[in-house]
Amino acid sequence: MATYAIIGFGGAGFHALSAIRDADQTGTIHVYSEHADAPYNPMLTTYYASNRLCYEGMFPFGDLDTIRTAYRAEIFSNSRITALDADTRTLTLEDGTKRSYDKILLATGARSFTPPIPIECPEATVSMRTLDDARALKQILEERDLKQAVVIGASMAGIKVAEVLHNNGVHVVLADMAPHIFPLAAYPETAKRIERQLAADGVELRFRSGLSAVRAGSEMAAAVEFSDGTVLPADLVALCIGTRAATELAVNAGIQVNRGIVINEKMETSAPGIYAAGDCCEGCNLQSGQTMIIGLWANAAYQGHTAGANMAGSSSAFRGNILHNITHFFHMDFIGFGDNRITGETVTFENKEKGLYVQAVLQDHRLAGINILGNYRISGILKNHILAVIEHGGHTISEMQRGVLLREGLSEAFLRLLEGGTYGN
Amino acid sequence: MKKMILDFDSSKCCACGACAIACMDQNDYDPKTGSAPFRTIFETEHADGRPVFTHYSVACMHCSPAPCINACPVGCLRKDPETDLTVYDNTNCIGCHSCAMACPFGAPSFNSAGKMEKCNGCYLRLQYGLTPACVRVCPTGALRMVTEEEYEAAHGSGSIIPEARAIAKDQI
Repeated sequence: MATYAIIGFGGAGFHALSAIRDADQTGTIHVYSEHADAPYNPMLTTYYASNRLCYEGMFPFGDLDTIRTAYRAEIFSNSRITALDADTRTLTLEDGTKRSYDKILLATGARSFTPPIPIECPEATVSMRTLDDARALKQILEERDLKQAVVIGASMAGIKVAEVLHNNGVHVVLADMAPHIFPLAAYPETAKRIERQLAADGVELRFRSGLSAVRAGSEMAAAVEFSDGTVLPADLVALCIGTRAATELAVNAGIQVNRGIVINEKMETSAPGIYAAGDCCEGCNLQSGQTMIIGLWANAAYQGHTAGANMAGSSSAFRGNILHNITHFFHMDFIGFGDNRITGETVTFENKEKGLYVQAVLQDHRLAGINILGNYRISGILKNHILAVIEHGGHTISEMQRGVLLREGLSEAFLRLLEGGTYGN
Repeated sequence: MKKMILDFDSSKCCACGACAIACMDQNDYDPKTGSAPFRTIFETEHADGRPVFTHYSVACMHCSPAPCINACPVGCLRKDPETDLTVYDNTNCIGCHSCAMACPFGAPSFNSAGKMEKCNGCYLRLQYGLTPACVRVCPTGALRMVTEEEYEAAHGSGSIIPEARAIAKDQI
């Protein structure tokens, strides 16, 4: 009878557990988690902190008891693994206990990145990644009278924290070292449109502003120092600078790691019998053909399922993904597909009546990336199209999809551009 | 109950919109308050100038597996274990629109409260031996609800399902 270990219990860990149990009814499955909560999506934290989602709503797969019973798993909460021996597939727990496994999954996720700068007032500083982070922000919102907050990081997490604070009547300064908002997903022209709307909503924006220190303040709890010498007072500083994959176990075990743990289509790492899935790993970026961290909830689900199935003896593959994002904030939808660093011919479409703006980049008449503002419904169809273009070359949007795109306000001429044609063809 | 397929034959459709109206009535949604209809009705004209139109009534294709289910961060979407239709409970929906980004057919709608709604195949009507509202009123038989066996026996003729499956196959 096989024994399996899953290290880390987020979306990838859960889907691996489910897939292992589907394929192996009798094996022993041990799950190790550094916290005591059931699996949840880190992007839900701001919804919980702002009372837009109840605590139970954080856990799409149910609580730990439900999962433990349904999948007959032993779940070790608040358990930290301190070492992994890749040759013997042995784990060392914090208390020194050693356990050996036939197959091991590393699903250790990612952690908020805290920059190596002086932070003199940690009580006035929050990150936004874990449920503990959400609990901290929730308590601050309930107990403190905040006038001004500085959010560092104009990212998907940063904008959601900014939104929560803004909705609570706090004046928000959103700052980033990058030249524009959503620097990893948005084209500069699309970003400008978002920034204009945010400014109209009352959010103060500061770009090309590097954070140099968070000092204890006199006017407010914190004084935020920027590299250009500007100092801003703040009751609260939110550090949403990004995440770093939790790869220490893999690195120390000699497993191949770049920014994340490198995996193949079967979610195998460089060490036999050891798999990785979710935000800690690098699968294939279908657009570049290189491995890359694509830290998305659904991507973790596909990777986790694939890893679990293969660990239990099935033959499963997940080919990879493209960079893509959707974020709904301040009554806006921003959606990005593809690597926004790829340059080429830029084409745009605007339907003012529908509040829709689309910007796309074509490389040699071939679609390489899309930004959408103001319409969620077309996003899945256009994602389907760009995936087909990237993976199979030329692609024509089907009639049944085309009709929906036209109904939502796109034009036939623009669709032909996205298909690699030109106006008038 | 058996695995069910909500099928559509564009050659029989005249885009009359009766299905959309029946769906609105069945699901109590009101476009005036911001809800978007679950069905998109349209016709396409052939690009080569032939005087031929194709008519469509497009809603959730109940993909299997359904990419929207993996995309939802709060577990609103699931497969009905009896019929395999893609159904939902939007109590915890946060309106993030992740399901929409996963759907290759533009099926998820969001109501005035920002919560997701979409075609659920009228699975509750099916449990009571009824047909879906859209199927019931379709005057030409373009929409039909059939068991998987009935669908397979027809070898895909006059069905949108093969095309829908080909589209959804690579969606992630």
